[in-house]
Amino acid sequence: MDIDIDDILRDVDPTLHSVPQEKRDLQDLTRAWVAERSAPELLHWPPGGLFERINNNIKRQIERVEDMTGDMDPKTNFSLIVIQTELERFKYLVRSYLRARIAKIDRHTLHYLSTDALRARLSEMELAYATRHQALLHNHYLSSFLSSFPPALQSLNDTAGQITMIDTPDLDSAVFIRLLKDSLVRGRGVDDDVSDTYDEGDILIIRWSDAKTLVAIGDAELV
Amino acid sequence: MPMYGDLGNKLVQHAKRTQNLPHLPPYQAELVRSVAREVRDLDRDVASLLEPFQGSFDPSAEQATACTLLVNHLAIRRNKRCLLAYHRTRTDKLEELVWNGADILDLAGQPAPGPNGAAATSDANASSSLSPQEEDYVRQYSDLLAAYKGQWTDIDLTGSLEPPRDLFIDVRVLKDAGEIQTEYGAINLTKNSQFYVRQGDVERLIAQGYLQKLG
Repeated sequence: MDIDIDDILRDVDPTLHSVPQEKRDLQDLTRAWVAERSAPELLHWPPGGLFERINNNIKRQIERVEDMTGDMDPKTNFSLIVIQTELERFKYLVRSYLRARIAKIDRHTLHYLSTDALRARLSEMELAYATRHQALLHNHYLSSFLSSFPPALQSLNDTAGQITMIDTPDLDSAVFIRLLKDSLVRGRGVDDDVSDTYDEGDILIIRWSDAKTLVAIGDAELV
Repeated sequence: MPMYGDLGNKLVQHAKRTQNLPHLPPYQAELVRSVAREVRDLDRDVASLLEPFQGSFDPSAEQATACTLLVNHLAIRRNKRCLLAYHRTRTDKLEELVWNGADILDLAGQPAPGPNGAAATSDANASSSLSPQEEDYVRQYSDLLAAYKGQWTDIDLTGSLEPPRDLFIDVRVLKDAGEIQTEYGAINLTKNSQFYVRQGDVERLIAQGYLQKLG
């Protein structure tokens, strides 16, 4: 995050191999963003305080921009533009990532709130948001029509008659994955199931339910 | 001959139509009430059918009654689904409006300036087309969203979802927006003038229709 010209030069310089934390964070964020946007279901909130670090970096850069604007020196002006452009892009990544998650949570709120394992995928803030949103919706239904229903028919999570009222994401929808190492891929097809070994770097289109384990163990990533 | 579920079907058709409309059509209060009434009537029928059996109803012995009960049950559940679908479609639409920064005052029917002439009138329509419960819902959802947004102050969650390409953009002023403060000093936005400004400074004004992005 804290990139200025020196950092860019250092990146180009092959003698320096260690990857700074900020750069790794950016990679993690980008990867999480791409994955979240292509996966049909909500993925885990990234662990290890990634977003706390990113937030702090964004704050720091904003302060830095404010400090530098007073200065009318053309040299700082150029780096100011570089920093601001980068800042805008960072903000876009975070915003788009959060919105993609919120959209998924809103669509299948009850599903994500139904079990502890699913709840664990949400961040604390998202959990609070989802719980409250569901409560608002339920209240709205109640005051609009449900309250005039017979009490036995008022719930929103009925599973009677083999029809569950809780909508769930379609885990069989297709995603694109890139293999990160040679691996055996099993895919279920419409007529026939396929199982074959593919090379690192191959890009496949496959059902998410089949790709899930590969992505989880890090043998593949979503593109 | 009207049948069970006909009214529910109408609601679903309304909902389907709503999905493709830019604004929110009026709330079908009468229809919603009728469907709810049908549910209550059916439920009463079920209760009165079951009453003589005192809880010892055997479906295989009384097949005709069992069939009636099944149909009633299915009709009730179907109506419930229709009602839920109708309301959910509308709340989705309302939430979208909240995310886009529509003010509750706009929705409540105050003559606030909309993005352009057409949208301003559709806003006015939206105000009268909300049920009182929906107005409550919008208010509460705005609060919820504001609370969630407040935890990400630096990001501006409701900002543009277009990837930023240039830091500075050309904009034309469509409507007088007064003076705004930027890091490079104050700019006076008078109608038909053109500026080269930082995108982040004017995003909100573009979304509200005061400015138009060029190129």
